[in-house]
Amino acid sequence: MSGTQSYQLSDYLEKLPATSFRKLYQQPSTAFAIFRRMLPMLAKVFVQALLYMPGPLPLSQLDDIWVKPEGRMQRDRALAALRSLHVAQITPPGKDKPQEIQLTTNFKNSMRLALEGGGDHKSFGVPSTLPIDPTVNIDFLDRYSRKKWEDILHYVVNSVGVSSDMGGGGGGGGGGSISGSSPKTSVKDLLLAGHLVDRRPDSKTGIVITKTGFTFLLESANAQVWTLLLLWLEASEQRSGSRMDSIDQLSFLFMLATLELGRAYDTQALTATRQNMLPDLVDFGLIYIPRDKRQYFPTRLATTLTSSTSPLRSVSEGFAAAASNASGDAASLGAPASVVAEAKGTIIVETNYRIYAYTSSPLQIAVLALFTQLNMRFAGMVTGRLTRDSIRRAITYGITADQIISYLASHAHEQMTRVAASTGRSVLPPTVVDQIRLWQLESERMRTNAGFLFRDFDTPEEYAALSVYAEEIGVLVWKSNKKQMFFVSKYEPLRDWLKSRKK
Amino acid sequence: MPPKRKAAAPAAATAAKAGRTSALSTPGPATPRSLDSSMMSDADEDLDEDVTEAQKEREELLGKEADEFVNNWAISSKRFQNQGEGQKRDAATPYFGKRDFSGLPLKSDHHNRPIWIDPDKGTIVLERFNVLAEQATDFLITIAEPKSRPAFLHEYALTTHSLYAAVSVGLRPKDIINTLDRFLKTALPSSINNFIQQCTNSYGKVKLVLKNNKYFVESVDADMLQRLLKDEVIGPLRVQGSDAITTTYAPTMGGLVIPGTKNAAGVRQAALQKPGDKPAADTAKDPDLFAALNEEDDDDDKEAVHAFEIGDTAVETVQKRCLDIGYPILEEYDFRNDDVNPNLEIDLQPNTQIRPYQEKSLSKMFGNGRAKSGIIVLPCGAGKTLVGITAACTIKKGVIVLCTSSMSVVQWRQEFLKWSNINPDDVAVFTAESKNKFSGSTGIIVTTYSMVTNNRERSHDSKKMMDFLKGREWGLMLLDEVHVVPADVFRRVISSIKSHSKLGLTATLLREDDKISHLNFLIGPKLYEANWMELSQQGHIAKVQCAEVWCQMPTEFYDEYLRANARMKRTLYAMNPRKFQACQYLINYHEARGDKIIVFSDELYSLKKYAETLGKVYIYGGTSQSERMHILANFQHNPEVNTLFLSKIGDTSLDLPEATCLIQISSHFGSRRQEAQRLGRILRAKRRNDEGFNAFFYSLVSKDTQEMYYSSKRQAFLVDQGYAFKVITQLANIENTPNLAFASPQERRELLQMTLVDNEKGTMEDVETDDLFGKVGGGRGRKKKGLAARRTAGTLGELSGGQDMAYIEQNKGANKQLKKNQKAERDTFFKKLAREKERNRG
Repeated sequence: MSGTQSYQLSDYLEKLPATSFRKLYQQPSTAFAIFRRMLPMLAKVFVQALLYMPGPLPLSQLDDIWVKPEGRMQRDRALAALRSLHVAQITPPGKDKPQEIQLTTNFKNSMRLALEGGGDHKSFGVPSTLPIDPTVNIDFLDRYSRKKWEDILHYVVNSVGVSSDMGGGGGGGGGGSISGSSPKTSVKDLLLAGHLVDRRPDSKTGIVITKTGFTFLLESANAQVWTLLLLWLEASEQRSGSRMDSIDQLSFLFMLATLELGRAYDTQALTATRQNMLPDLVDFGLIYIPRDKRQYFPTRLATTLTSSTSPLRSVSEGFAAAASNASGDAASLGAPASVVAEAKGTIIVETNYRIYAYTSSPLQIAVLALFTQLNMRFAGMVTGRLTRDSIRRAITYGITADQIISYLASHAHEQMTRVAASTGRSVLPPTVVDQIRLWQLESERMRTNAGFLFRDFDTPEEYAALSVYAEEIGVLVWKSNKKQMFFVSKYEPLRDWLKSRKK
Repeated sequence: MPPKRKAAAPAAATAAKAGRTSALSTPGPATPRSLDSSMMSDADEDLDEDVTEAQKEREELLGKEADEFVNNWAISSKRFQNQGEGQKRDAATPYFGKRDFSGLPLKSDHHNRPIWIDPDKGTIVLERFNVLAEQATDFLITIAEPKSRPAFLHEYALTTHSLYAAVSVGLRPKDIINTLDRFLKTALPSSINNFIQQCTNSYGKVKLVLKNNKYFVESVDADMLQRLLKDEVIGPLRVQGSDAITTTYAPTMGGLVIPGTKNAAGVRQAALQKPGDKPAADTAKDPDLFAALNEEDDDDDKEAVHAFEIGDTAVETVQKRCLDIGYPILEEYDFRNDDVNPNLEIDLQPNTQIRPYQEKSLSKMFGNGRAKSGIIVLPCGAGKTLVGITAACTIKKGVIVLCTSSMSVVQWRQEFLKWSNINPDDVAVFTAESKNKFSGSTGIIVTTYSMVTNNRERSHDSKKMMDFLKGREWGLMLLDEVHVVPADVFRRVISSIKSHSKLGLTATLLREDDKISHLNFLIGPKLYEANWMELSQQGHIAKVQCAEVWCQMPTEFYDEYLRANARMKRTLYAMNPRKFQACQYLINYHEARGDKIIVFSDELYSLKKYAETLGKVYIYGGTSQSERMHILANFQHNPEVNTLFLSKIGDTSLDLPEATCLIQISSHFGSRRQEAQRLGRILRAKRRNDEGFNAFFYSLVSKDTQEMYYSSKRQAFLVDQGYAFKVITQLANIENTPNLAFASPQERRELLQMTLVDNEKGTMEDVETDDLFGKVGGGRGRKKKGLAARRTAGTLGELSGGQDMAYIEQNKGANKQLKKNQKAERDTFFKKLAREKERNRG
């Protein structure tokens, strides 16, 4: 899942021109973030090797020292990444001169600064000197950000307007102090603009989730945050019409990623562009701003933007309980792909289409509710059933059968995987999988026929004669005596027949 | 006595659902039944004879009373609900409405406990992979109704009936609550606690015991008896002059041995050493045996019971009154102390060993050394007959067996001779053809429901026979395929034939009209229900691959289908040429594999058309008894006859162990029972224990027709038992089938025309009313036209020639072919049959 995430950010970055990169890399924090987040392992090795190199290095030497012959593919990928992110320059191949590689100036300087410290770039934030409210601790920030983020996700799965208490279920996240609410209108607009949800006046809340929205839900929290931030960046770009701001905004995001959780930073030290960003970031739950507005606290969602640890899991006890209780989706909320794969699955699908999910996370339940008919809920367990109606409803939202199947399969309970492994069968009951696909197929039954329409006959007799002839030779696809028109797959025999009759 | 509530209240309406065995939105049992089955009606065609209006009214009344009782005692009824119990709300709550029970706190070691319970409706969810799952399953099967039993999580429902059954096998409320609490992941909800307390308080407290041929009302609770005696109805019915209340000690299993079990073998040895001892009585004082057979009962040893006597005639009144005041009465038969009725010399053959689940079910019946009345539910082919015979061998008194058809009468008799050492003269048959009595002072009578309930003119012989049946006291009444018989028929059977204990046997205790719940009061609680999947894993019944084959309707057929009326629609989707091709393809494929195939069609027109076009034999209601026998024998023994077409007369009680593949081309609406019963035809496949053997069950369905909807309804029961229906949308290489029928559009159009014309003329009867045991077409008699089959109302006996009815030969094709060779091929089966017939006459 982190793969998807990196792609999205890299998709955005790839569209940027070289000048933007030059500007981006003026910030040591950005250079550092790109290095951490965007580069493949081998590329990081190359960067480290080249960082303090006084001049360009012949590519052949690089290969000799750091690349094993069988690692050719990785080397190519690493070099491509370095080039596309404008981290390094490689001279074009020529006859007289061997290819050389060197880091781009801005990147090199900023990266060195990031590692060595010094300078007055303020790129890693300016800690606030004001006294800090003792209640704003890491635990509080975690709950705060999780709440904000879940509100957004709940909005996506259509469960807004319902008071939620932290979603910890029986886990006791200690919530209650922060009551549930739907996200700000600006966030909603963003989700609409990104086609994560669509307006549908006939539905209860007026909006429904889309196919993209469902993909979004299945991503890790990190990827989700980036998806939303990139949507936001694009939107603000369109608003202001200039790219200059968005570069600064992007570097601010990279800067946030390097800040320290639980620490207060000075709002005044930010540029105006960045200060303007703050309200929106508050809405996303990336930062927390106390009432006096002179400080801001990055939350875990922000500080883990460029790292691979999960943003929504905390060391604090109550939270850990909630997270482990609400494994599955909640665990995948931010857990990197490897952790998700190992995480205990929660869903059992029976051959009689019954679904049992070991979860108490309202969010996962809401996701299940998209395509199941839920029945009962116990502490730590919900029961429901896949029905033709529930699947078809999901399909009308644009969620595909394959998405549902892959969701069920990737969240399958360990009992299912174990039985499947011991019997050598598939994890999900094949009949259920088939049936979900068949339910989808039911709504895809249009068939098109290429052909020719005959109409506007001079006399009904002419119509009758020709349509009868068309039927006799078997080219007739459809006819309407009332409308005096018919549709055939081939017109040549009719043309010939008409000609021969006219003679 | 709880105040009666009118069913009009919505709460009661939902409660009724919870109380019944199924929660389908079918017309409630109290709804008046109409005899003409409308298109959308799910009502099964059952043995609804031409009941008079008065009888119907009476039945309705009784039904209503039982309903009200059930409603009053459903869990969601307010009396059990403790409002405001830990409701917790969060963002996900609205998805569940009132069904969010996450507020129930989990126990700290909930991982080690296997079940959840829903405090509202009593649904129990069981983790099959839990360490305690086995024990929990044994417990739940006793106290709750199994609803869904696939691989990982099972669902049960705690209902009044299930608790009634639990109490009747000797569980006490205290035990039920404690054990339930032990298995629960959460604390026991107070509503459930109340429910169990109150149900069990009223259930099973009063027993009706036939002791020394006197009826006693018995209870462990003396106060209860006092209350009954003070009751205005029951009080005066006490036999005057007898002691007001007598006190004895509760019976125990004490030495009762169910034959065929391992212990029985030991007893037999002991008996051999001590010749002269009464067999199987008081010889084995084996504590292990006692524990093994009846774990739950061991505290009961020393409990005092109190009883008062009532007159024979008062029995039904007392039963009814007890039900009214909320103390349904249990029937028990202390057969070991019955000296009045002579003992029957019957025992299982020495080499007979009954299977563990059969033993389990019987131990529920004979739990305390007496015979309890009740119903045992085993899948088809799992040996219901043997359970019945073993019960007969345990009681060793006169037995009357009621079955659904004369065909199964013959089978039951054969089974008795096969499994037990009974003297063949002591097994008598009472059907339209033969009416003989047993030779000795007691014996076994095998008959059909229709023979004993027929209240129209009887022949002199039948009348004499009925008087004989009515004049005796029977030790055991075995009710085969108990699900098909409506309450009204039961009442007549039970009121006319006196038996000390009743044992109902069935595979599918479901009816789409939900009349099953009344059986609980008429016969007794469900004593045992086996798990299909488990039996098939253990090899007791065959493993089955189920598939639903979707057959496109060709455009011209679909066109007609859209315009047709309901009846024609059914004909059309059965006659779908693509379905025909699929059927042909599957028959070819499975015949080549060496399978014996049964094809089921409810639709007579298509049955004949399919069979005749494909050149296969077929049996339907109009086939004469001898021809049926002949065809069946050929199907079983003739390697040339591998496919048999059956109308719905073959749904039940037809024992064809050779059959390994089943194709269903048309069926009875959404009847879950029919589906399960038909599947049952291949569960007893002889080859089931071969390595990797699979039986096959195909259901052919015309796409985009009502059949699709019905099909999913029909499968509900089997799917809940853990069977998986694979949907096949395309049969590979079907177009390469040699001589594929209706391959050209021309042929298809002809078929369509023929179908339309034939059915419009009404020359073919599409509704078959003969359900093996003669459905009388009360008021429905259809005028025959042309040269079609002559159609007369009558019992099977009549149809099979018992009353010298003449038939017009109308079978063509394969059936006739077989007939031609009949003389030459007369095999041993028929010789035996003829011999038996000879003997019966003599």
